[in-house]
Amino acid sequence: MPVGLQAEPSLGVPGKKRWAMVVDLRRCIGCMACVCADKAEYDVPLGVWRTTVKVKDTGHYPNTKRHFMPRLCNHCDNPPCVRNCPTQATYKHEDGFVLQRYERCISCRTCIAACPYNARHVLPKNRDRVKIGGVVDKCTFCNHRVEKGLTPACVQTCLGRSRIFGDLNDPNSEVSRLVARHKTVVLKPDKGTRPQVYYIKPDRAQTEQVFSAPQSYAARSDAQAFYQHNRGSKFFSGVL
Amino acid sequence: MFEYMDYNIAPWGHEIVIYFFLIGAAGMTFVYAAAPVVFGNVFGGAAKSMEPFQKVGLIASLVLLVICGPLLIMDLGQPGRFLYPILYFHWTSPLSWGSLFLPLFGLCIVGFYYGLMKDNRSLMRWTGILGSLLALSMPLYTGLDLMVNQTRELWSNPTIPLLFVILSMSSGTAVVAVIQLLRGQLDQRAAEFLHAFLYLSLAVTFALFLAEWVVLNYGTGEKQQAWEIINQQFAFKYWGMTFLIGILVPLVLVAIPKLGRDPKILTLAAVLGAVGAYSFREVLIYAGQLTQINF
Repeated sequence: MPVGLQAEPSLGVPGKKRWAMVVDLRRCIGCMACVCADKAEYDVPLGVWRTTVKVKDTGHYPNTKRHFMPRLCNHCDNPPCVRNCPTQATYKHEDGFVLQRYERCISCRTCIAACPYNARHVLPKNRDRVKIGGVVDKCTFCNHRVEKGLTPACVQTCLGRSRIFGDLNDPNSEVSRLVARHKTVVLKPDKGTRPQVYYIKPDRAQTEQVFSAPQSYAARSDAQAFYQHNRGSKFFSGVL
Repeated sequence: MFEYMDYNIAPWGHEIVIYFFLIGAAGMTFVYAAAPVVFGNVFGGAAKSMEPFQKVGLIASLVLLVICGPLLIMDLGQPGRFLYPILYFHWTSPLSWGSLFLPLFGLCIVGFYYGLMKDNRSLMRWTGILGSLLALSMPLYTGLDLMVNQTRELWSNPTIPLLFVILSMSSGTAVVAVIQLLRGQLDQRAAEFLHAFLYLSLAVTFALFLAEWVVLNYGTGEKQQAWEIINQQFAFKYWGMTFLIGILVPLVLVAIPKLGRDPKILTLAAVLGAVGAYSFREVLIYAGQLTQINF
């Protein structure tokens, strides 16, 4: 039984909702509309993301393939970020959302360290339009939209209907049918986080840590820039 | 070949490394200062050799704590909310426990100092025992803060809290040895006392270093990746600063019977041990954050 959560895991519990997302990678065309919709919905600042799409090419000409891998908070049923938060600023909603109380967050970044999916970021302190800053932020599965009967912004805008959202506890929901009918995987199931974003037909190059290391010069540069940005420390190896 | 991936910022930088190092040193400095009262006649009264160090040791511990507290607060994105971990206490977060223990430890230092000034043995005994436990909890909670991240395999290791406590012994011994040497009060009896603790801490650090090496090499893909990162990007800090300068050389110095008890050599070994204690923490904290972002 997970400890330190404000609500018990609701997956498979009768009478409760368990919101989840299925990402059908056969349908993703890498248009990044989901990233833009998310940026627009929350005025996400430059340099940080609530959702991203990882792009990776494999093979050698003429036998090549381009893979897309949408990434977001997995709204885990056993979220380590929630357990480790010293102020309970991040908490588990009874319907499965992992949410953030901005007014309580001290931005100690323990939750960022705890998250295995790199799904959290720190908002800059001085922002023009939105006054929330200097705290940790993350994907919320657009709970403000879901509570009004809408789908999350990224799902709404997805051109190929790659992202599907719904209640996994409802056997008639589309996500339930997809998870039942297709072979799905979750990211890092071995970490015990019980993630609730299900991927249909991912490639090993996208999901396995050892095989997914960036190989190109551009990707290495991105990764190095990322670490240089981390308080001026430059520490990145040839591993990436 | 085209690849593209966005990364969100890595959470912990050098402020955390410095804090982890200093708070460990502060804790163990207090343990040494309180040792004559806490341990009394145990081990033939060896702890009484620390009596000349008590007053200055308490001040040193308090100074280190006064540096540590603001450093940790300023590292927060919301420094004004530094009391929230206590106000909204979350029992599964080591950081909450640490935030609670930190001011209590400060109170114990002040209480012990007051008892020392007023020659109140009862107050000194209680604040000494409680303060020593809290002092040990400082490096312990910093280690736990890493260990509870089950998704980061370099950290999620039960030896990490023990390692941090042991490393704090080395750094605390260095503080005591340097201060006492500068004051000309590192006599043979005190050197003997410090030598025992330093020898123990370096030997255990050496054993844990080897254990880490075995675990990372025989571990999962992520552990092997961590080992690769350590050996490529942190090779000098890990093998040079930590293993050679921070563990092996001081261990050899203290292991030689006559040489190791010489006050100057002992102080040198303790300072090298402290360098290793800092470097070991730095490598573990930084490398532990790098193993996951690939995917």
